[in-house]
Amino acid sequence: MLKESIVAELQKIVGKENALTSPEALKAYSYDGTTSWVHEPDIVVFPTSTQQVSDIMKLANAEKIPVTPRGGGTNVSGGSIPIMGGIVLCTTKMNKILKVDKENLTATVEPGVVLQDLTIRLMKDGLFFPPDPQSFLGATLGGIIAENAGGPACVKYGVTKQYILGVEVVLPNGEVVHLGGRTLKNVVGYDLLHIFISSEGTLGVVTKAELKLNPIPPAKKTIMVVYADVAVAGESVFRVLENGVIPDKIELLDNWVINRIEEMMPMGLPKDADAVLLFEVDGIPEGVEKETEKIVEIVKKYGAVDARVAKDQAEADKYWMGRKAGFAAVFGKAKTVFAEDVTVPRGQIPALINKCKELAKKYNVEIVVLGHAGDGNLHPAILTDINNKDHYDRSVKAMDEIIEGAVELGGVLSGEHGIGLEKQKFLKRQLEPAVIEMMKKVKALFDPNNIMNPGKIWE
Amino acid sequence: MKDLKELKKIEQYADQCMKCGFCSFFCPVYQEERTETSVARGKNYLVKEILKGNQEFTKEMGDIIGLCLLCKRCVAMCPAKTQIDRVVVGARAQMVNEKGLGAIKNFAFRKVMSDRKAFGNYVKLAKAFQWLLPKTEGNIRHLPDFLKALGQGRNIPALADKFLREIVKPVYKPQNGEKPKMKVGYFMGCATDFMYPELGLKFIDFLTKRGIEVVVPESQSCCGAAMYFSGDFETGRLQAEKNIAAFKDVDYIVTACGTCSSTLKDYQKYLPDTEDQKKRFEEFEKKVKDSMEFIIDIMKVKPEELTLKKEFEGKAATWHDPCHLVRYQNIKDQPRAILKGLKGLKYVEMPNADLCCGMGGSFSVYHYDITKKIAGKKMDGIKSTGADIVVTACPGCMVNLTDNVLQNKMPQKVYHLLELVE
Repeated sequence: MLKESIVAELQKIVGKENALTSPEALKAYSYDGTTSWVHEPDIVVFPTSTQQVSDIMKLANAEKIPVTPRGGGTNVSGGSIPIMGGIVLCTTKMNKILKVDKENLTATVEPGVVLQDLTIRLMKDGLFFPPDPQSFLGATLGGIIAENAGGPACVKYGVTKQYILGVEVVLPNGEVVHLGGRTLKNVVGYDLLHIFISSEGTLGVVTKAELKLNPIPPAKKTIMVVYADVAVAGESVFRVLENGVIPDKIELLDNWVINRIEEMMPMGLPKDADAVLLFEVDGIPEGVEKETEKIVEIVKKYGAVDARVAKDQAEADKYWMGRKAGFAAVFGKAKTVFAEDVTVPRGQIPALINKCKELAKKYNVEIVVLGHAGDGNLHPAILTDINNKDHYDRSVKAMDEIIEGAVELGGVLSGEHGIGLEKQKFLKRQLEPAVIEMMKKVKALFDPNNIMNPGKIWE
Repeated sequence: MKDLKELKKIEQYADQCMKCGFCSFFCPVYQEERTETSVARGKNYLVKEILKGNQEFTKEMGDIIGLCLLCKRCVAMCPAKTQIDRVVVGARAQMVNEKGLGAIKNFAFRKVMSDRKAFGNYVKLAKAFQWLLPKTEGNIRHLPDFLKALGQGRNIPALADKFLREIVKPVYKPQNGEKPKMKVGYFMGCATDFMYPELGLKFIDFLTKRGIEVVVPESQSCCGAAMYFSGDFETGRLQAEKNIAAFKDVDYIVTACGTCSSTLKDYQKYLPDTEDQKKRFEEFEKKVKDSMEFIIDIMKVKPEELTLKKEFEGKAATWHDPCHLVRYQNIKDQPRAILKGLKGLKYVEMPNADLCCGMGGSFSVYHYDITKKIAGKKMDGIKSTGADIVVTACPGCMVNLTDNVLQNKMPQKVYHLLELVE
């Protein structure tokens, strides 16, 4: 519980209507997109300016109150859960797109802008912001930067950190600083901007960001490729790339997911296929044609059963809709789902998939695989039920081994979701003790009182 | 342990939510409020907390489940197919069971609206004193709401001098004098009855011109939307039984009000208390048709064979999808087919045609400020089309669209689609 005087101070800063303390409101800010973490804050505040954020931080720092920044609350690693209570600093009312600069291909945004709102605005100018986390309907730019989010398009376009030129940040002591700038090249001193990106809200609050944009490619095409063996599908991914074609997306659906999609929205996916890969290529029309032909040729050469080129955008949209529904299908079929986010070097995808199959057998649990095969970022999901202790325990063991397996294959335990609360216990398996120590020192430098999203990343 | 009967019924729907938060993008209320309690995910989470015994039906909880238009936009887009509309309505019903209806709604639903004649008299009374009030008003379908909303600066259509039920005949034979092709019961709905009686006569004329016999049972009541969407299932059930009894021996029950048609169809979804009731409500549902689907799908009218009224010659029209048509009944192609087929009329699609107008029944009375903001977005869409007229097929939407067109000083007039054709 916060002292009444502090609540009054916060109300003074953001206005009464922007400071929520009712039990109902606190409950509604106790969760994010994860299934297993819940903790209520003591107050939720909605600042509407950098000055207000700064005033909130000054107060919190002086009183040593935890502050958890939050945008759309679509996080899937528990990063936006106020695990130590205190203040939830919600940026959803700082949602202005301040500027779209066509000449320099940049945009200036506030942290609460929802990615899809930005996308719609940029379309007017024929531009787009390439990072495409699949939570784009709810995710805000502040959260996307804090988590260094990625998505399917990262095969060709990379992740968030490649598209942030600069940020305005309020530090835990309330000071406002500017990291990076507005230029594509910038080597002035240490690259603190990139320490900030992917800091999961533990170093400060983004209050403004300068984004790098691309022009929307004039053409794109989708190819649906069918496999009798999911490991062969994994091989196709690097075969296509090594033969000189870089699709903007390569997504994988396994047999289980294919069948759930066909149940929900029949679209003619082959139900007996072990796996399907969805490729998308984009660029100038002539290039897209050539690349499409090349993909069909290569996948067939390396063991695909069938390769269908979507005849029009409507057919392509259908496949991508299916891919999106696949994610929902997984969550809809089990009480509890461990949605993993492991990423391996692309050449190891078949090995990781085989590992998952092996573990499913060993522990007698259902492990389904879908994900961004193009960049080695798979989402093996284990379907379980937290109320069924025996099954749950076996699932936990299987998950542990998937993560161990990914690290052994030269991969990482999280490709795009972040560590947050969900993956803390695995951190030591990936990072050397000295590295974790350095991270803690960086944290202490920015946030000596440990008030900024405390309890995250390391145990 | 408390009896959570109504909540238990919707537990399975509440469990569907996986908390992805995508609903926020589609929720017209969240888009204005930007708080978690205004969006489906937050409401669903709190309802689950009640089920777990961690939350009570406090006043604030009531406000939270009240703050929903039931527009179903999030339901249509939910990746997990969570039927949040059923969760919200179920929670309202549970709250009514525990806390009662509250004085205003109790009076409105149980004493006034459930008795059609009394309702008419009260509305008349209100009308008699209309001149006392600033030229404004409220949601006439819900009388006390109507009184409460007075003075909020709204413009609504004046009440008709004669209500439809006072001028309508019980039976209309086909105009060609031949044996009827089929016999339909016409369900008028409150808004048509009190504010748009000419629309009711128009629809009857349209049907009887085309060889259909129309009966208008005097014992028909309010559809029950205002009651059961507010959680008053008891009164809702009474309305359902009255209406089912009123419409015996007809091939179809038709109405020109999108909200009424969806409400009549959904009796089976929300209200049955017994297996027998469920069966009868399901049988009833099969016979209910909205005017738009009835004209195209049952009568098989060819839009290009319809005649546009002279006054609309050369005009550009845009279509507003009522929530109760587009999402509750998947009726969206039929009205567009008519508008596109009508010779002499130019059809322009507005951006976000399926966006709720912001009315949401009594929502607009309690949250008129939010209603206005949501309607503002609708108005932006209408303006961008350059259309001369806005066409829809729900008197509820017509009231709100008319109000906002006037408030925004826009030149467009609002019509029910039936008003356009001969």
